[in-house]
Amino acid sequence: MTTATPRVIVPSAAAKGEFFQVKTIISHEMETGLRHDDQGNVIPRKIINRFVCRYNQSVVFSVDLHEAISANPFFEFSLRATESGRLDFVWEEDGGAVYTLSHRLTVG
Amino acid sequence: MMSLTRRDVLIAGSAGFAGVALLSPQSARANDEALDLVEQFTGRTATVSDRLHLIMPTYFPTGYTVPMSLYIDSPMTEADHVRQMRVFAPRNPLIEVASFHFVPQRSLPRVSTRIRLAKPQHVIAVAEMNDGNLLMTTTWVRVATDGCA
Repeated sequence: MTTATPRVIVPSAAAKGEFFQVKTIISHEMETGLRHDDQGNVIPRKIINRFVCRYNQSVVFSVDLHEAISANPFFEFSLRATESGRLDFVWEEDGGAVYTLSHRLTVG
Repeated sequence: MMSLTRRDVLIAGSAGFAGVALLSPQSARANDEALDLVEQFTGRTATVSDRLHLIMPTYFPTGYTVPMSLYIDSPMTEADHVRQMRVFAPRNPLIEVASFHFVPQRSLPRVSTRIRLAKPQHVIAVAEMNDGNLLMTTTWVRVATDGCA
């Protein structure tokens, strides 16, 4: 199993009041808990179950993920540029592991 | 001068029927089934709405990564916005797909991702508006391979 590695594509600058596009992806098997190994044992569920995007501490977009989200969960969404600051991206995995990325955004 | 014979009417009628059947197999029944399923999951009755758009390919070769885009026509003001949009795949072994949460003034009410589908089915999207109304739409997707195996 590969290590979960998150990536985001976000512009570094945006015009105040305009929407900018965010693309996020994390490498992850999204093991559903429905599969069996060669010995017939159930492979335990291990998915990213939640994704949160904060903009200067405020949650601006989030997702509750279930088993039917494909491996390497990808989301594309759009946010309004309100002020310069920091975007924080958090992926939460079954079992409590958390993967994060942050990004500086300049709003002019 | 044009006059409709019984034969013309019959031909027009059957052509229209065939057209509808081709466009969306069993769409009226599909909507009823979808409304029932939404009620099971939310405890509330949804309304079929053309404000909500669930864009997926009608055919996709693999069920593992079916592209999905979802959006709703909404001003996203404090007074009128969508709180969350949920997606269900009724023919998957696990029906819930995802819930997407949006914030008025801050996020556009649209998202794209990729999902797993076990078999051909009507995928369901439900939007929960800030006034508590539930809006629903469905789209037919045929996949060639089981994405949940």
